[in-house]
Amino acid sequence: MQTTTPSNTIVERVAADLGKYPPFDRLSLDKNRKIAASLAVEYHEEGEILFKKGEQLGRFSYMVMKGAVRLFDSIDGEEVLVDLCDEGDLFGVRAIFGTSAYLLSAQVVEESLLLAIPVETIKELVQSEPSVAAFFTGAIARSVQHIEHSLSEAIDMRRSLMEPGSGSLLANEALVVDQVRNVITCEPDIPIREAARIMSVNNIGSIIVAAENRHPLGIITDTDLRKKVVAVAGQVNERPVSDIMTSPVYTITAGKTVADMMMLMVRTKLRHFCITEDGTTDTPVIGIISEHDIVTSEGINPAVIMKAIMQSESVEQLSQEREKAEKLLRVYIAQDVAIHFISNIFTELNDALIVKAIEFSVADMKREGIDLPEIEFCWLSLGSEGRKEQLLRTDQDNAILYRDPEDEASRESAQRFFLELGKRVSAILVACGFEPCPAEIMASNPAWCQPLSGWMNYFRKWIGTPEPKALMNSTIFFDFRPVYGSTALALEMKRQINAEIERGRGFLQFFAKNALQNPPPLGFFRNFLVEKSREHAHEFDIKARAMMPLSDAARVLACEFGVTEFLGTVERFRRIGQLLPSFQELSEEAAQAYEFLMRLRTEHGLAERSSGRYIDPEHLNKMQRQELRDLFTTIGKVQSMLNLRYQLDYIRD
Amino acid sequence: MIELVRKIQVSMRCRKGLLPESICRYVSLFDHPLQRNTPLEEVRFVIFDTETSGFDLVRDRILSIGAVAMNGSKIDVADSFEVLLRQEAIGGKEAVSVHGILKRDLNQGLEEDEAVCRFLDYLGNGVIVAHHADFDIAMVGRVLSRRYGIKLFNEALDTASFAKRLEKGPYYNLAHKSGEYRLDNLCERYGICLYDRHTAPGDAYLTAQLFQRLLAVGRKAGIDTLGKLLLK
Repeated sequence: MQTTTPSNTIVERVAADLGKYPPFDRLSLDKNRKIAASLAVEYHEEGEILFKKGEQLGRFSYMVMKGAVRLFDSIDGEEVLVDLCDEGDLFGVRAIFGTSAYLLSAQVVEESLLLAIPVETIKELVQSEPSVAAFFTGAIARSVQHIEHSLSEAIDMRRSLMEPGSGSLLANEALVVDQVRNVITCEPDIPIREAARIMSVNNIGSIIVAAENRHPLGIITDTDLRKKVVAVAGQVNERPVSDIMTSPVYTITAGKTVADMMMLMVRTKLRHFCITEDGTTDTPVIGIISEHDIVTSEGINPAVIMKAIMQSESVEQLSQEREKAEKLLRVYIAQDVAIHFISNIFTELNDALIVKAIEFSVADMKREGIDLPEIEFCWLSLGSEGRKEQLLRTDQDNAILYRDPEDEASRESAQRFFLELGKRVSAILVACGFEPCPAEIMASNPAWCQPLSGWMNYFRKWIGTPEPKALMNSTIFFDFRPVYGSTALALEMKRQINAEIERGRGFLQFFAKNALQNPPPLGFFRNFLVEKSREHAHEFDIKARAMMPLSDAARVLACEFGVTEFLGTVERFRRIGQLLPSFQELSEEAAQAYEFLMRLRTEHGLAERSSGRYIDPEHLNKMQRQELRDLFTTIGKVQSMLNLRYQLDYIRD
Repeated sequence: MIELVRKIQVSMRCRKGLLPESICRYVSLFDHPLQRNTPLEEVRFVIFDTETSGFDLVRDRILSIGAVAMNGSKIDVADSFEVLLRQEAIGGKEAVSVHGILKRDLNQGLEEDEAVCRFLDYLGNGVIVAHHADFDIAMVGRVLSRRYGIKLFNEALDTASFAKRLEKGPYYNLAHKSGEYRLDNLCERYGICLYDRHTAPGDAYLTAQLFQRLLAVGRKAGIDTLGKLLLK
């Protein structure tokens, strides 16, 4: 019936699309025109299944023009992602090589425009064009390897979950700690000597003191015997164990993972945990987990580093421990340990290091005759460290806050003392690898070593007259968090700031406006939107273009809702999601996006030994590109939410 | 009724050999009209666009026709069509500057009657889809009635109205903000890259992509047969 040849213009158009991606980019325009004239353009919506594993092969192979398609396999009824295809990727090409059924299933992840290329067309090409043949054999070989790799990984993972104890501790963050089940307990009124005997007979380092119904009352460990019995003069051996036991004992429920336990150890600084039926002291003991159980298999371990930091006696030692922590970070990142876990660990480690640096400085000053004045004070971490997000050792951002002294003389001496403290601590941090802040936002700068009234003058000014420059500067100060000294003082400042914002709500609008300064680069993968400055040409500023828009948004919302806890971006989003149900879904998306970015930046920074801030998009793998693209959509949504909420379209620059 | 009479007249003229073969073949396709309950997957849609020398139905002429077919939900590039028309009475310079068709190009085109016959051959009994379809259909209809005394028998759908119907419901008054449903705006709204704008085949291809997406939206609203699509 058809007497005419296909439309040149349309064929030309499709050929141009096709020719952008391999292997068609190596073909002559004429060849591509021929292919284009044979294909169909398909549009599919999110969630559509294109083909299923085991199904008879169709007549087409597909190229993604827009959108994304995931290829997955099913093992034991669970789906395992094998590949993610986006712009320019071909899939369903196995058909060309004689297999009869699909080896994987394909599902559209986001609305997609696909070119369906007849298998016959590709077969012909493979025969007539050596470069195309090479492309396909290479791609097939690679993808077969890839599939095998992904599958073996998935199977390994499953196996290790089923057989606890195999593999490395870190690889199995989700591994449940093997508890000691035959817990030996003793009654509270038996003599200490008897308890010691039971412990040595059973060769155990601790014993739970329990009531008759086996409800735990306390715990006695080797350390207790050493410190409270042996080292103490007089006859104590006959006294009841209840005299020396640590009470109450820290109780948890069974089924805790290694990650949970490491967190718990770091947070509580305890070494023994008692498992009871419901996790309280009101039910019988069913197990015990000791530091030893958690630590034994792993040499480099956050709890060990934590202990070493707390017991450091010199700056050199402190610096060495921070180096060890860096190694740990590498291991964690390489093993894909959850980022919230990593950032919690590193916040604790960095905080401990700062505390130690302050203790060293105070002790040194005391030795030199400079006494700590009796004024309530607080060491503040600012910016990313304030948000508990500093994984890499980027610049220092810190400050000192102290209670206003009563008279002029003590005001001056306080300022002198705290400034000196700031300088010393900052120097120790430099020795531990935390570079000084180029903008000098440090406690060693008199401007940022202030009494409460001084700080509130700043904040009042920023809130009252939010000019752009002050705003940009102030974003860092709004993320303060007490690390040493009086948390109450920091909280007091936070409340005053919130009250100040409450008074002049116009500030939030400007603050929100500031959060929109960096719109997400939506055309990211079409023509890499890269930074223009010379040094970082062709690179993408992940901090300014992706992280700041999110952390800024979270900060504004946290301010609006008067959140007084010292939270990071991820927690801020989650908290706001609870407070603002309409935002719940998006805030969870934003939280996850931010975690991804933290990981990406850390990975990159570790690899390049840099701050990780500038990334060459060409070096991203497909998963990362996919994730980044989704995340720009999320940022866009968060920004338009801010725009709407604060009616920013009405504010002129 | 009038329709039936017209068709009978055309058939008679065909039997007498008064009309070209293409025209007769085209008309005979409508002896058995498409069933309302035909699933959309089995319908051949022909998305088309014309470039004209102006917007006056009487004075202005078609300069080119571009079309691409959608079988079910697939745009079939092989099943596409493009023709330039050699027109003596070419319109003002403005039209040329919009679509970039020069007199020189048109001289290489086909005569109007041959071009339209070829288009009918290509079109067959497919369902016509066009953006602001009335105008394009009327332009082709003028040629057919002038030359052969017939009209287009195909079912037709306007993507602008279809989009409006899906987004706002059938009773939305567009009168005061027609710009919202211009092809460019719709393409932007549905994430379709604009290129080859203002050439007949280029616009036809864009319209086809738009229609493909609208159909997907429509399917969710339960539009799965030709009857539901055409509101008949």
